[in-house]
Amino acid sequence: MSWTTFNPPSVKAKLFSSFSEQDIAYCDALSALILKEPQIREFPDLVALGFWLRKSNLYNLLKPYQYASFNRQPLGMLYHSAPANVDSLFVYSGILSLLCGNKNVIRLSSRRGTSSNILIEKICQLADDFPEQNARFQLIQCDYDNSELIALINSVEGRVLWGSDEAIIAQRAIPMPAHAREMCFGNKFSLCLLDAKTIMAEPEAKFGQFVQFFYKDQMTFSQQGCSSAKAIVWLGSKEQIGDAKKRFWPALIELVRLKQPFSDSEHYQALLAAQQIAANAGNAFELIQERGITRLGVSSISPFCTNAHKGSGLFLELSLASFEQLNPMLKPANQTLSVWGVEPKLLHEWLTTVQTGVDRVVPVGEALTFSINWDGVDLIDQFSRKVNLHKSFSLE
Amino acid sequence: MLIEQAPYELTVAKKAPLLLAQLNSLTAHHREFCSEYESVVTAQWPNYAVANQLAAVPYLAVSLFKHLSLKSIPDSEVFKTLYSSGTTGNPSKIALDRETAGLQSKTLVKIMQHWLGKERRPMLIIDKPSILDARNSFSARAAGIKGLSFMGRNHCYALNEDMSVNIDAVQQFCSEFAAKPVLVFGFTFMVWQYFVEQLKQSKQRISLPNAILLHSGGWKKLEDRAVDNATFKQAVLEHTDIPKVHNFYGLVEQVGSIFVECEQGHLHCSSYSDVLVRDAETWHPLPLGKEGILQLMSVLPKSYPGHSLLTEDRAVILGEDDCLCGRKGKYFNIKGRLPKVDMRGCSDTFTPTVRERS
Repeated sequence: MSWTTFNPPSVKAKLFSSFSEQDIAYCDALSALILKEPQIREFPDLVALGFWLRKSNLYNLLKPYQYASFNRQPLGMLYHSAPANVDSLFVYSGILSLLCGNKNVIRLSSRRGTSSNILIEKICQLADDFPEQNARFQLIQCDYDNSELIALINSVEGRVLWGSDEAIIAQRAIPMPAHAREMCFGNKFSLCLLDAKTIMAEPEAKFGQFVQFFYKDQMTFSQQGCSSAKAIVWLGSKEQIGDAKKRFWPALIELVRLKQPFSDSEHYQALLAAQQIAANAGNAFELIQERGITRLGVSSISPFCTNAHKGSGLFLELSLASFEQLNPMLKPANQTLSVWGVEPKLLHEWLTTVQTGVDRVVPVGEALTFSINWDGVDLIDQFSRKVNLHKSFSLE
Repeated sequence: MLIEQAPYELTVAKKAPLLLAQLNSLTAHHREFCSEYESVVTAQWPNYAVANQLAAVPYLAVSLFKHLSLKSIPDSEVFKTLYSSGTTGNPSKIALDRETAGLQSKTLVKIMQHWLGKERRPMLIIDKPSILDARNSFSARAAGIKGLSFMGRNHCYALNEDMSVNIDAVQQFCSEFAAKPVLVFGFTFMVWQYFVEQLKQSKQRISLPNAILLHSGGWKKLEDRAVDNATFKQAVLEHTDIPKVHNFYGLVEQVGSIFVECEQGHLHCSSYSDVLVRDAETWHPLPLGKEGILQLMSVLPKSYPGHSLLTEDRAVILGEDDCLCGRKGKYFNIKGRLPKVDMRGCSDTFTPTVRERS
């Protein structure tokens, strides 16, 4: 496949200073175009992106970075490799890099979905009004071994690789200049921590909202989003957990029955993965399939579980009396911990004991919300250079 | 033992108790000798003792054999390993000991003799001769041809190495055997694409009015070309005069107990196998006439826990013991395969190949 540029530049790309008004206006215009799209309701990821790109939201996000004791300068040229099928993800990191003043080339997957195509269309529409931004936000498609792409990577100041671990390792074989930075976002296995006693005590209305939030986090991308939970960690005594399961699962299953987020193929895949994990683990229990939800009780989360789990409505269930028991099971791939019903004080104390795993702790309902800190990395800082001016040169 | 019975004579009243007893003893056997199987049964069917009906027999997702090496025999007793065609992803790996391999051959012969008669027939194979070379020996096509070959004699390969029709060889075969009962065998897609279609295009025809064509291997590629079973049979008749065409369905995970299509166009269970159809959302068994996921049961697998498998195929059970063809047992139609799951996650499973720069 030869090199295709979706939004060809009309001017030569040049670096901008960080957080320029022009760049923010570009994002705001993109937001307006996305939110005006008639099809938008079918794509919750685009709705979220549309709101995220609004001027007011960006000001808010960037505020903590505006006033610093150093000068923020762009990094230079960045190459972004977008994942297949989580359509809107590439825009978040690409836009943050644009806002830092960088030039960006974004390689899109040939297997991208409809919402990517809507985005490409909107970005092309903005090319005439924002020639500078358009030239610094180039969307391309080509093979991984395309000679132009390799030449680009050989000369970038940084690259951002989204995708499977295998895809990332393979792409790393292409060298970058020594000074270039690399940010990788590979396979993740996120968890949901639920306090059994709180779940039992929630009044009906709040409980209903919790179930809706849980559904949104896990089912929006068919449980394949990196921050969607694949395992549930129940906290409490055996009896409390038993009672909480009896309240929670029927409520979730009722929602799944109404909304039908999974296909028959996915039901099959969930059963296959559950049997695979049960066969391997040896001491798994409670393999239960009801109305599109598959559950499997496990006593630990092994790397085998992590690899075999393909989403599709399978939840591994782990029961713990205290969450320190989770620490030895945590791996760098355990990105998001979404939490319901655990006291903040306990979370704080526990986090100080976690040396490996867990990059973000969010309430249930916020798992898919993009944040500047992703996988433990501050993207704004990664996409810019902090230039230090010695205090003796201070103007005050 | 069911294996001693004729393939299509048992009514449900006679077959059901025998089948259940044999499946129960296979479940117990595999629980004892395959620890992974035991783990799955314990997790999914807690407190399981014995099945009191067919639907209660534990089942494995057939794709499990692509991911795990499941067997109920020590390595030293592995006599032969079968692999599925595996065009996508890992192939299934099935370990056979002498006993299971023997049971498979014996059963295949019993079923085939019902359709072909006891005498070996001159056999036209719709494939190229090199398909049985060592480098192809693990392919499902090779395994199928080898399995069926001993039902025939005077084997003739109908295709050249470049997949064109070896018309001289075929005509020679016809002139020699056309008057006799002949067996023609090939994979469904090969028969269509490289035989019938080529005869049609080159405006040639052959005449084998006493032949039976057996074909297997899935309809997917033909459905893409909008060729259904009736069109297939009509075209075969038109270009080859073959009046009897039977599809058969089977999995490498249950070799031997295959399901052959009768004159009514229905796939038939034999005395050595049975089927259920389950709802993919609840996994409850569905009644006759309802489409769902096909579960296959076979009394043959002793060396690996494959006696009850949930396939990835959709099917409808049409009836039991009352097919107009007169054969007993359940009969059904396949409605296609479950589509591949569309990966929607942040991390796609695609592995790019990055070549060294030259």
